[in-house]
Parts: sequence; C-alpha cells; structure tokens
Amino acid sequence: MSQVSGRSRVRQLADSVWPGRTVNGYANLIAARLRKLADEGSTGMLPVSGRGDGAVFFRGGRVVYAESSRTARPGLHPSGLAALGLTHDEGHAGEAGLVAPGPGGALAGMLELTELIVDALADLLCRESRYAKFRPAQVRPAGPERPMPVEELLAEVQRRHEVQRQLAAVVTADSAVTLNPSLDPPLAQVSPAQWALLARAADGTTPRGLALQIGRSVFGTTIEVYRLLELGLLVVPGRPPAGHRGSGTALSFLRAVPAERRDDDEGEGARAGSESGAGLPARRRRGK
Amino acid sequence: MILPEAGDLLTPATAIDGFRLGCLIDASTGLVLAAVQAADGPAPPTAAAGAADVVNVLTLLNGKLATGEILEDVMITFSDSFFMVRPVGHDPVGQNTGPRILLLVVTDRHRTNLAMAHRSLRDLCAGFLA
Repeated sequence: MSQVSGRSRVRQLADSVWPGRTVNGYANLIAARLRKLADEGSTGMLPVSGRGDGAVFFRGGRVVYAESSRTARPGLHPSGLAALGLTHDEGHAGEAGLVAPGPGGALAGMLELTELIVDALADLLCRESRYAKFRPAQVRPAGPERPMPVEELLAEVQRRHEVQRQLAAVVTADSAVTLNPSLDPPLAQVSPAQWALLARAADGTTPRGLALQIGRSVFGTTIEVYRLLELGLLVVPGRPPAGHRGSGTALSFLRAVPAERRDDDEGEGARAGSESGAGLPARRRRGK
Repeated sequence: MILPEAGDLLTPATAIDGFRLGCLIDASTGLVLAAVQAADGPAPPTAAAGAADVVNVLTLLNGKLATGEILEDVMITFSDSFFMVRPVGHDPVGQNTGPRILLLVVTDRHRTNLAMAHRSLRDLCAGFLA
C-alpha cells in the first residue's frame, strides 16, 4: 500500500503538468493564450497579473497596446533640459504627443511607443504571471496604439529575456546602483541619454526607477545603466567595479539570437524586395 | 515586422548595387524594427544583433577615449560582402534622449561600388531625419 496520501498524489501529478514545471513557467501559458487570441482575430483586453499588474490589448488579432504597473507608459516623457535632468519638468505629463520629434523624426516617435509596448509585454510575460478572463468588449479607451503581430512580439520578448539573463551577473532592472564614489572618477564621454541617467542617479536608484522617472523602457534603461557601469561612472554597491570583474563583456545581442532561428530565417525570410519579419514564429520553429 | 512603416523607409536601399539586406535597428536594445532582404541575404536577426554589438563596443571605446567625437559609420569587409552600419540620427544635447537608430546594409562585395554605396547610405539617413 502506498504511503503517499491521495491528496499528495494529486499534487504530485499536478506538479508534473503545472506551468511552474515548464521551461518558462506561466509565461508559456500566456504566450499560448496570446497566440490563440491572434489566431481568432480577437479584439479586447487580456488582464495579466504577476510581479505587477497589466493588460494586453488586441485589435483584429494584433497586439495594439500593452501596459504594466512596473514599466513606463507613453505620455510621461520629459523633453529638453528636463530630459537631461537639468530642470524639473512638472508639466510634461499633460503634454503627451506634443513633444517634438528629435533626430530620426517620425521614426524615433514610432519607436518610442513601440518600445514601451514591447517593454510592458516583456515584463508581463514572466514566470510568475497569470492571465485572467479575456474581455472582448473592452478596448483601449484612448491613446496611441501600434498594431504588432503576436509571433514577432513573442520572439522579441524571448530575446529580451535572454539578454536580461546575460546582464543578471552584473545588473538587473531592480539592482541598486549609485554614482562612482571615487574622488578621481574616470574620464568618459557619455551620450545625452546616459547623462540623463547620471543626473538622476542617487543612492539606491534602480534602472527600473530611473526608467519610470524619465518615461523610458526598463529594458533599454537597464542596458544603458550597464554601459555606464562599464564606463566606471556607476557602481553596484557590494560588487566590484568594471575592470575588476575578471570576465568579458556580459552583453551580447548576438548571443541572445537562438541558433535555430538563424537557420530558419535563412530559409524562410522575406525575399527580393519584400519585407522580412524580425523573428520567426516560435510555433513554426518547433515544427508545428 | 515590428514597424511596417519603417520597412518602407528601407526601399531606397534596395537600389544599391549588390544589395543583400537592409535593417533598421534600435541600438540601445538591439530590437530589429524592420528588414528588407534579397534572395541571398543573411538572416536579419543575426546580422542586426551583430551590428548592434559592434556599435555597442565602438560606443564604449569612444566613451572611454572621451575625445568628443561621434561615430559616423562602420564599414566591415568580408571576403564576399560589405557590412555597412550608420546611425540614423545623433542626439544633440538638449534635443532628445531617445533611442538611437542604426541602419545596417549588407551588399555583395563583388557587385558593389563601396564609395557609391557609402554615399547612398548617407543620403538615405539624411532622408530619415526629414
């Protein structure tokens, strides 16, 4: 007779199929749900909760918007001297969409919104997240939208998670960082975007906190903070500064591209004047 | 394609002799915004990731040298192809702290006039800013 109680046995069986035992936890289930909504051409909202709360908005089977309580939202975007941290821009929150496009013009404007949506989605698709019932009638009330195919978004999210895994040895979005306390700081040249981070960096600041302050992507800000760590301008308290870590560069976008995707892309990418997607559907890659 | 509108901006690049691949990449995150590929073009995600890595390293080099210079473009020569990378816009102080976008164009080395291609890329990037 088995010494395992019936209840424990049920739990054991459930554990073997629970998403927590899958490669990417509950994120796999959310990805599957997003694919199904895309296949059905759905319009509505999928609430997601986990480390933070958020939602993914669909229109005609495409993701048009996503937001997370742990990432910045469009419209909170300081400009001019405020963007550099040199003045306070208390009124910028009400000026969404009024900020003149800078270098790159409309392209940069499109990218900013896209980046915030992808950033939110990457945050929502984490191991701990779960989704609630899809609400077909609920569309985004107002604000900018950008229709994007689900498969390409999922491929991008997967790539970002891989980059985050690389960076985790040095810095994460929630690592406290501080200005290099050295009395003899290294000579370095920084971009305006990096200067904006340095100007706001204080004891205990995290890349996520900085991103929320300036209305930028948490993922992009974490990478920018990593670059400032490499330049020796920021340090993670308790960790050796750049140059003393002994290992090579942690960040490699190339290493984050799955090998199988490269092969598939060579065979199936858009050809001869047509447009190519940024990534192949994971589902097709697996041979479905 | 994440940004279909950006794909339209790449159309002029296909007129470069020996064109194989054109990509717009967010340098700060490595996100491929759009890509246009010829029949013999390399895989966009891989080529774009490599280009972003190269620019990342050069940006770090420039940051440590601190000479006040800016990166204008990168030309890489392989045995059969040219990889040309050019930032679409720079961030003048006080203007924008937004992400910097890279244009990557890969061409067939045996069919491309490098000087002409270089000029085409410069004009193309100038057009993006308009």
